[in-house]
Amino acid sequence: MNFDEILKEQMKNYVNSEDTDSISDYAGRLSEGISDYFTIDRILDATLNGKSIFQDSQLITDLKSLFFYEIKGAVVIAAEIIIVCLIIGLLKNMSNSFGESGVTKIATMICGAVIVGLAMTNFYEIYNLTAESVKTITYTMGILLPILIALVIAMGQVASGTIMSPLLLSAVTFFETVIKNIVIPMIFISTVLTFLNCLTEKDYVNHIAKFIRKTALVVTGLILTIMTGIITVQGLIVKTTDSILMGTARYSLDTFIPIVGGFASDTIDLFLKCMGSIKNVVGVFGILTVIVLIMVPILKIITVAVIYKVTGLILEPFAGKKLSEGVFDIGSSLISMGAVLLLSSFLFVIFISAIISIGGV
Amino acid sequence: MDRIADCIKDIFLLILSLTFIEILLPNSSLSKYLKFLFSVIILATILNIFK
Repeated sequence: MNFDEILKEQMKNYVNSEDTDSISDYAGRLSEGISDYFTIDRILDATLNGKSIFQDSQLITDLKSLFFYEIKGAVVIAAEIIIVCLIIGLLKNMSNSFGESGVTKIATMICGAVIVGLAMTNFYEIYNLTAESVKTITYTMGILLPILIALVIAMGQVASGTIMSPLLLSAVTFFETVIKNIVIPMIFISTVLTFLNCLTEKDYVNHIAKFIRKTALVVTGLILTIMTGIITVQGLIVKTTDSILMGTARYSLDTFIPIVGGFASDTIDLFLKCMGSIKNVVGVFGILTVIVLIMVPILKIITVAVIYKVTGLILEPFAGKKLSEGVFDIGSSLISMGAVLLLSSFLFVIFISAIISIGGV
Repeated sequence: MDRIADCIKDIFLLILSLTFIEILLPNSSLSKYLKFLFSVIILATILNIFK
């Protein structure tokens, strides 16, 4: 029996393939097939044969087609906004011949309302997408963490496993709750106020909108920093405890049991190494799944945000300061949304790497 | 969060309708006082979040 057969057999014992398959299925539906390049079997094969995980050229083609698809959708909305703004510019120039300035003002306001309606539909879609992907990543973490912790304990890192497990699970749940119930709604509210600011002539809520948006980002950053700090420091301490424990066990097995002790400790070493590589495979699978899961929403958000910003720039000459700034600010809101999503995936990647680094083989 | 969402909805509708009314106001000497009054109403609505 050679090494890769042992590894595959142990993998079946320790990792429930139904769980990982359900994650892969779930991710495949959300990432439009990109996660199929990173199933756990593929990563295991790549690890055993020493191949690169990112070899597929089809992957780049898929990403490219996804990117252009998003751009196409966003450009349509940008074109609609620009056309409505052209009408506004025309109305403003013709208002001199009409005489009544109130009529022109109302017409401008209605055109603004049309733009807000277009942007709002698009924004609401992205808001739902972000909330959904945060939920998905948390679900993935909820399945992966128990598997990883079990593997860590199987490696003999008992203290790490028992301390990290509740810490990580509660951290993930807390983070999800804060993001989903406070941060993303805050960005949504700030965007609604930005829309409102587009429509009015005076600035009533401009600064409130910006303040709320910045607060949301600061809250996310603060939570991320605190969580990362706690996990890293705790991981360092328990790692030392466990390495002392394992070292003592191996040494006493080697020295105090005559003749067979040496073989036994070698076997234990092999077993631990085996567990370590399984843990690394599952960990890498987790990291790649998290990255793939946020890749599609991030791509969409960034594309739409850039298109909004460019539209804001184009609008400036003929639609006036108010509307161009409003459209520009919607772009900023979208970028904040993307940043929150990126930060949350970053946190989860840090969690998984913290577990991988425990008892690093 | 529901309460804050309700407040934001109120602010949105109020500011929108007041802007509309402002456009329709006739150009009299009283209109600038009315505009000030509108601002005060909006301020009161915004402060309503902290109630």
